Amino acid sequence: MIEIGHFALVLAFALALVQATVPLVGTRIGDERMMASAGTVAVACFALTALSFAVLASAYALSDFSVANVWENSHSLKPMLYKITGTWGNHEGSMLLWVLILTFFGSLVAVFGGNLPASLKANVLAVQGMIGAVFLLFVLITSNPFVRLDPAPIEGRDLNPVLQDIGLAVHPPLLYLGYVGFSVCFSFAVAALIDGRIDAAWARWVRPWTLVAWVFLTGGIAMGSYWAYYELGWGGFWFWDPVENASFMPWLSGTALLHSAIVMEKRSALKIWTLLLSILTFSLSLLGTFLVRSGVLTSVHAFASDPSRGVFILCILVLFIGGSLALFALRASALTPGGLFQPISREGALVLNNLFLTTATATILVGTLYPLVVEAFSQDKISVGAPFFNLTFAPLMVPLLILVPFGPLLAWKRGDALAAAQRLMAAFALALLAVLITYLFIDGASVLAALGAGLGFWLIFGALTDLAVKSGAGSASLATMAKRFAGLPRSMFGTALAHLGLGLTVLGIVGTLGFGAEKILAMRPGETVEIADHTLRFDGIYPVRGPNYTESRGRFYLLDAAGNPKAEISSAKRLFPVRQTTTTEAGIRTMGFSQLYISLGDETTDGGTVVRIWWKPLVTLIWGGALVMMLGGAMSLADRRLRVGAPGRRRKPAEAATAGAT
Amino acid sequence: MIFWVVAVALTLCASLAVLLPLTGRSREVAAAADHDLEVYRDQLAELDRDVARGAIPLAEAEQARAEIGRRIIRIGRSEKNEAQLTTSATGRLVRRVSAAAVLAVPLVSWGLYAGIGSPDLPSQPLAARLQKNPAQSTVDELVARAESHLAANPNDGRGWDVLAPIYVRMQRYSDAAAAYRHAIRLLGSTAARQSGLGEALANAAQGMVTADAQAAFEVARSLDPANPKANFYLALALAQEGRKDDAKAAWQAMFAELPSSSPWRQVVAQALAQTGENQAGDAGKMEPTGEAAADAAASMSEEDRNAMIETMVAGLDERLRNDPLDEDGWMKLMRSYLVLGRKEQAEGALKRGVEAFGGESEQARKLAAFGESLGLSLKE
Repeated sequence: MIEIGHFALVLAFALALVQATVPLVGTRIGDERMMASAGTVAVACFALTALSFAVLASAYALSDFSVANVWENSHSLKPMLYKITGTWGNHEGSMLLWVLILTFFGSLVAVFGGNLPASLKANVLAVQGMIGAVFLLFVLITSNPFVRLDPAPIEGRDLNPVLQDIGLAVHPPLLYLGYVGFSVCFSFAVAALIDGRIDAAWARWVRPWTLVAWVFLTGGIAMGSYWAYYELGWGGFWFWDPVENASFMPWLSGTALLHSAIVMEKRSALKIWTLLLSILTFSLSLLGTFLVRSGVLTSVHAFASDPSRGVFILCILVLFIGGSLALFALRASALTPGGLFQPISREGALVLNNLFLTTATATILVGTLYPLVVEAFSQDKISVGAPFFNLTFAPLMVPLLILVPFGPLLAWKRGDALAAAQRLMAAFALALLAVLITYLFIDGASVLAALGAGLGFWLIFGALTDLAVKSGAGSASLATMAKRFAGLPRSMFGTALAHLGLGLTVLGIVGTLGFGAEKILAMRPGETVEIADHTLRFDGIYPVRGPNYTESRGRFYLLDAAGNPKAEISSAKRLFPVRQTTTTEAGIRTMGFSQLYISLGDETTDGGTVVRIWWKPLVTLIWGGALVMMLGGAMSLADRRLRVGAPGRRRKPAEAATAGAT
Repeated sequence: MIFWVVAVALTLCASLAVLLPLTGRSREVAAAADHDLEVYRDQLAELDRDVARGAIPLAEAEQARAEIGRRIIRIGRSEKNEAQLTTSATGRLVRRVSAAAVLAVPLVSWGLYAGIGSPDLPSQPLAARLQKNPAQSTVDELVARAESHLAANPNDGRGWDVLAPIYVRMQRYSDAAAAYRHAIRLLGSTAARQSGLGEALANAAQGMVTADAQAAFEVARSLDPANPKANFYLALALAQEGRKDDAKAAWQAMFAELPSSSPWRQVVAQALAQTGENQAGDAGKMEPTGEAAADAAASMSEEDRNAMIETMVAGLDERLRNDPLDEDGWMKLMRSYLVLGRKEQAEGALKRGVEAFGGESEQARKLAAFGESLGLSLKE
């Protein structure tokens, strides 16, 4: 029943309008019922959007080509998994997923927001409703996935083969959970500005929402990077592609937001930072959506481009960013100042961190938008690529990464940098040792790479030092240390794990860029090639038939010292006849943390095949580090501090008083 | 119909989601200050835990405690400004806003949906479309069905043979060429198949009689020297090579031999007229004027449709011979034969079905009842 899904979406729009207005009026006149209506409406809005999404997904699963969107992006011969993931492998469907996740977060706030003051909750949900209403309208008017075809074609046009991959099942949902998750922080910020005050509950509850969004965004970016790595066949893990930048910018500012929210919660300082970063982070998410969806940038992600959509999203962008910043300008002066602190303190370190991260964000923003501006005014097409970002982003990150281990060791209000440095001596010594070992025994070609490896180890050992110091290393016995270690709050483990994960990622990047090897050559069956102490034999190309593609699969054998094959690696090129497109399937063999990566090129006239082989040492640490960061975020979310109950309603004042007295 | 019922139900639920909280009893909610207090209390507890664990020095803890204490005092001060008064004026406003909100839900949704929805279009899952009675199917559906049949049974020469000319008519020339090749491989070479192959190849090449096409036409002519399609295209090939006089002679010879009822007479006459006009020009550019081009745009004829249905029915019949315990299959076969107007064979199918299940079985009785409903009787 396709039309039920369509109708549910329209109904969700009507509810979003109610959600955007009624609670707002309620908070103005102080009516509890109107404020409370925000919760039920938000949940109903989510239920309807979910129904609508389920209907679209089932249309994909059942190959209902009377839906134009399905006809354009599906094919009856596709494997079932890709039929379903195809639901969001196109512009309309992915926007519906965007809205679904938005309403999902709205309903989460409604369900788990019992510990928020009623007016704050109502305002947050109202802002969430506004975003929802505008995006639902965008979907319905310019990108409706339920447009029908009559008569219905009998076969679809198939999904872009690059997207026919398990990555599509994971990457967009994770990324959107991150992007859209920051809408909650945005709504919190705008709600605080509407009310003109930030209370303690605000400060406490904005952090977990940031954390949730951050964890998902980290996962989404890492997954996207790994997908590009194995699917595009270029062997790279990050291309400074504008669309990648579009997801990286909110991550950087979201990371800054996460850190300033900690200060906000503990010391009620950095209010302006937190508010601005909340607005900025979601604005960057919106900007990312605009850049990708408007077709301003052409890349794999721009499934389809249409100027009317671009103009609509641009209007949304102006409305939300301009509106929130104007509100900020009006109300920021009314905010009461928070706790004071010395420059050298935990707060000071976090401000420094914010400065670095926002500057890095700005750098990337400039690099991403500059070509667009140039093109708009002079018709010249230029591209800003890796050299620019390597020159600007890396120098900003290195000092920040050097400073990271100091932050958690400084005390609140007034810290002692020297004491922190003394505690970090061991970590520093170990990192130095790593540099020496790398330089002397592994590869003496590049001092910079060795220093980079040292930086990675510095972060890892710094994070471990933090845990050791917090468990009382140096002043307590081993047994007390173990006891204290076990009793550490989970948020401390979260911090340490996230920083450790960062170190792992740095190590992976340095290892791949600094110590990797690459070979491009034409090989004929039976020939062997040596790369980084590994010997590979090319066995030949074999045709293989898939459900909706044909494949020429190149088979390689990894040889041991005696020249006998010990493992098989196959790398392939696939031809999808419906779209007449080829994709590469890189042959990847993981050894420890390192990988051997084989990609097939064209065939040469004399019967050989062009083969590109990379040896990528420690490459998996890049994404492994991101996983550890996510784990850190999840640990921090599980902290007991985040389980504060709601006051009042459940306890009578008298009981509360006795409870307070005991 | 179901759609409207569901739509009304959904609208009702959505309106209730707005209405219920607005009409419920006004509950006392905790003031914002209580929430703040709760957070501060928790921060104090956390501080105590930190002290107990020895995570922070006592002096620092005292400082922090004092700071939280100051914040608590600050709430007490601002709390007094917070009291909200509900007057009768706001009460009226609440009622008005509530009524407007509840009304807005159906009005906005039905209004917008009326503009952009297509409530009358049923969903059309592919599997269901391919299961439909062939007589009600569109040409596209029949072709898709034949394709899925041939994908599973690529050695069904008759299927390819039927499908090939239909492809030509649908202007899917490369598919048509492939289908003709399969048919030739499986059923042998005939003049009709070879000339069809040539026609498909020529059309796939935008009307140029390529070497492949010419070879096919030549085989066709060797099998049947009078084959008009082969003769016509071979003459066209001559014209495209620039040997206009030879082409003209070939067409003239062909025209003389064609029976007066042949549809090719007109085509050849037209070609002759064009060569005459373009004597000086380049005849190679001449548009293909063959049968395929003439009715390429026309939809599938009744004849084609019946031919397709027949192959499908034959396929089903064949399948049931090998796998007779398929109740639905037998029913479908009976119905299909009736659509084709072959009552005899429909009754034969009923008989075979009943025999397959055994005369006394449940399924046999069902089949007999079904046959009766179609007006078939089980002859002994």
